[in-house]
Amino acid sequence: MSEAVSDASVGPREGKYRAPILSSSLRYWLSKVGLFLLTLWAAVTLNFILPRLMPGSPADAAIAKLSQSGPVSAATKHAIEAQLGVPSGNIWQQYIEYLHQVVTLNFGVSYTFFPESVESLVMRALPYTITLVGITTIVAFIVGTLLGASAAWRRGTWRDTVPTLTGSFLSTFPYFWVALLLLFFLGYVAHLFPTSGAYAPTVEPNLSFSFFGDAIYHAILPAVTLFVTSLGGWILGMRNAMINTLGDDYITFAEANGLKGRTVALRYAARNAILPNLTGFGLALGGVVGGSILVEQVFGYPGVGYLLFNAVINQDFPLMQALFLMITLSVLVANFLVDILYGILDPRTHR
Amino acid sequence: MSSTTAGRGPNGDARADDFLLEVKNLSVAYESDEVPPVQAVDRVSFSLRKGEFVGLVGESGSGKSTLGFAITRLQKPPAVITGGNVVFDGRDIREMDPESLRRQRQGGFAMVLQSGMNALNPVRTIGHHFTDIFKAHGHVQRKDWWDRARYLVDKVELPPGVLARYPAELSGGMRQRVSIALALSLEPRLMVFDEPTTALDVLVQHAVMDTITTLQESEGFTAVLISHDLGVVLEATERVMVMHKGRIVENAPSDRILSDPQNDYTKMLLSHYADPRAEKVSLPGFEHFTRADAGVDTPAGETGRASRRLVVENVSKTYPPPSRGDNPVRAVRNVSFTLEPGQALALVGQSGSGKSTIAKLITGVEKPSEGRIAFGDLDVTTLPQRRLRRLHEDVQMIFQDPYSAQNPVLTVEYQLSRPIRNFTQLRGNDARDEVRHLLETVGLTPAESFVTKLPHQLSGGQRQRVVVARALACNPQVIIADEPVSMLDVSLRAGVLKLIEDLRRERGVSLLYITHDLLSARLVTDDILVLHEGEVVERGATTDVMLDPQDEYTRALLEAIPNPARAHEERARRHNRAESQ
Repeated sequence: MSEAVSDASVGPREGKYRAPILSSSLRYWLSKVGLFLLTLWAAVTLNFILPRLMPGSPADAAIAKLSQSGPVSAATKHAIEAQLGVPSGNIWQQYIEYLHQVVTLNFGVSYTFFPESVESLVMRALPYTITLVGITTIVAFIVGTLLGASAAWRRGTWRDTVPTLTGSFLSTFPYFWVALLLLFFLGYVAHLFPTSGAYAPTVEPNLSFSFFGDAIYHAILPAVTLFVTSLGGWILGMRNAMINTLGDDYITFAEANGLKGRTVALRYAARNAILPNLTGFGLALGGVVGGSILVEQVFGYPGVGYLLFNAVINQDFPLMQALFLMITLSVLVANFLVDILYGILDPRTHR
Repeated sequence: MSSTTAGRGPNGDARADDFLLEVKNLSVAYESDEVPPVQAVDRVSFSLRKGEFVGLVGESGSGKSTLGFAITRLQKPPAVITGGNVVFDGRDIREMDPESLRRQRQGGFAMVLQSGMNALNPVRTIGHHFTDIFKAHGHVQRKDWWDRARYLVDKVELPPGVLARYPAELSGGMRQRVSIALALSLEPRLMVFDEPTTALDVLVQHAVMDTITTLQESEGFTAVLISHDLGVVLEATERVMVMHKGRIVENAPSDRILSDPQNDYTKMLLSHYADPRAEKVSLPGFEHFTRADAGVDTPAGETGRASRRLVVENVSKTYPPPSRGDNPVRAVRNVSFTLEPGQALALVGQSGSGKSTIAKLITGVEKPSEGRIAFGDLDVTTLPQRRLRRLHEDVQMIFQDPYSAQNPVLTVEYQLSRPIRNFTQLRGNDARDEVRHLLETVGLTPAESFVTKLPHQLSGGQRQRVVVARALACNPQVIIADEPVSMLDVSLRAGVLKLIEDLRRERGVSLLYITHDLLSARLVTDDILVLHEGEVVERGATTDVMLDPQDEYTRALLEAIPNPARAHEERARRHNRAESQ
């Protein structure tokens, strides 16, 4: 039986097989972190270079506008430049200065909401967006994935057709339209929910229960809008992935070995089917910080999307630059987190 | 033991309680809304006595796997049992409810699947596969789980270390052994092996089959071995059932099948086995020449199409290590050979021997680390990627898997017209005529009925003929055929081999034939190179090497070929050994 073992190729590596696996997975994590830092730096630097590649400067634009109604004095010009913070010094000094500003979160003063600093504006909007869009995205992913998995497992029964049909039906609605419908019927007609804002005008934002209750009450309609329109995608994605997985040999083999239905469905089928969907989840999570411009606009919700909309309309460069940087960062961070998650869930990735 | 041929119940003289499994008039159909149901298994009856090892043989589409799945009740829609009974140990398994069926899997019937490679959950360790089973059935106490798992992997000759590993970290042979150990952990009375070694290398195949036969003898379970390879089955089993078009056409002891086959289909299958070591080798429709004949028959360079020689000189290919700390992979080591115009040369070895890497190097898909490859005055090693076309006008490839070598959404006509447009001056009607001419050349007639077909509308053999036609479209001087028949049914192989052989002789092209199958190498080539771990271990005239192998590895390869005739002696030997103990 000596030839039986010769195919095994276990012999030589047997006994020390733990060591290389450990170090290879350590290398995997380190390379992931390294790659993350490198892309982070590249994104930050690109955010610095791009505006400087554009012809002219915001100051020139403002002066050009002013000069239409008469000559602009040198003092006015200086004042405008000082107000807009036109940089001095060579490109390296500017770059160092910029990096310092990024690290200290000092992005200057907003034009639109003068004299508020960009930092305070963003910091005020961010919690609303992250809670509203973030929680809705995560909940929609979890609920959609579970429904999709159960639909695939009970393929052909009502537990398949009901969620699948409802999901795909709902996801064909444009979400701002759903928002308008909800707003009209539940807000204006039935007066069940407030129609605008993140909290009632009479309430002062603080850490009290009454404020949180009010904030949640205001968040329900936008949350339902986002949840309802994104749910279908997760259901269908998971259902399709899982149906593919259910056709795999290891599922048949698990059934041949008499494993319990629950084990086969969760540990064998769903566990593998969820892997490709994680990538989509990462992208969705990354988009959270960008907010949902239209939904926030419809509900007058003071989140990042609302801010971004105003920044673009009013050519508010400092605000835009800060928001773009933040969105880029959050996409990177979300992808990094999903990479880590993937590495934990799929042992094949770090080999 | 008494036995009968197809249809009637075998073992008429045995008592009913000797039987572990009785199948009566079992029919399985594939049902679909659009087309009428396909009868995959058609009123099949047979019985298995306790402790018996039975083979189930047939070609693809014969219904053998469907039958295997039906008797273990693993068939899934669209496969539906449409009639008959499967009585296992006195109970009809068709009437079991899901939960008692699930319990029945422990201590009842188990199955080892065709592709053991994919039979394991990629995100669970091997050890957890075992504990999942123990947990599901509770037949092993929790404190004994890991001891039992270690005991079981030891049974299939694997070290206990595999328990901590993930399936992707094991070789194909090891994964198949793990599958067997998992099935064994159920302590089954009936084991169904569905093509357990098909996806494995020849030498590994041999070793895994050894393990299976040893286990069957030591554990005493009843076993069914499903395979397309009559040679493998005859070597291992006591009784063989031959399946054809959903029916069991012959059911007889292995020795009888070999010495006195009754059914024409069985005879046909048997006729496709030949020993490459014989003086004269022939397959149906395929008389091969002895060394002396071949010398006369080989077309000389000046008469044939091929005029340029392919020279491979001291070529090595080293791949970077798969992970740091490992050694670089030396896929090809210092290989040299010349393919003369019109010559047919075989490159033989098991997977990992570097034979496919050499094909990639010759076609310029990859560059060698050292050495030089030249086709006529064209230096392939320095040819830039975008000028490879000059090489591909004359050097074409036939791939192993006809199922994935074709774009599933393109018609045969389109697939063949592309190389004609790319490599020849023919346009319009001339090109259309050429497509039809090519189809006729490869034996797909009438050509008109094939041009509009899509790949999935063709059988495996027809697909491979289209692949051959595609390679011929630019009228090449050299054809590199990488295992062109290994994915095909035995009965189709001879046809495709014959086609390649005829084309070579008529068109005078040179042939580089890459294979692990020594019989086909013997049939279509003049000379042979045997590769082992990237090195040439033996070379010479094909007939000489087969009849008188010098290298140990060549001998091992020849030994591993399933051989019905030798199976006879093999079993007798095992039998004697068992009796003497």
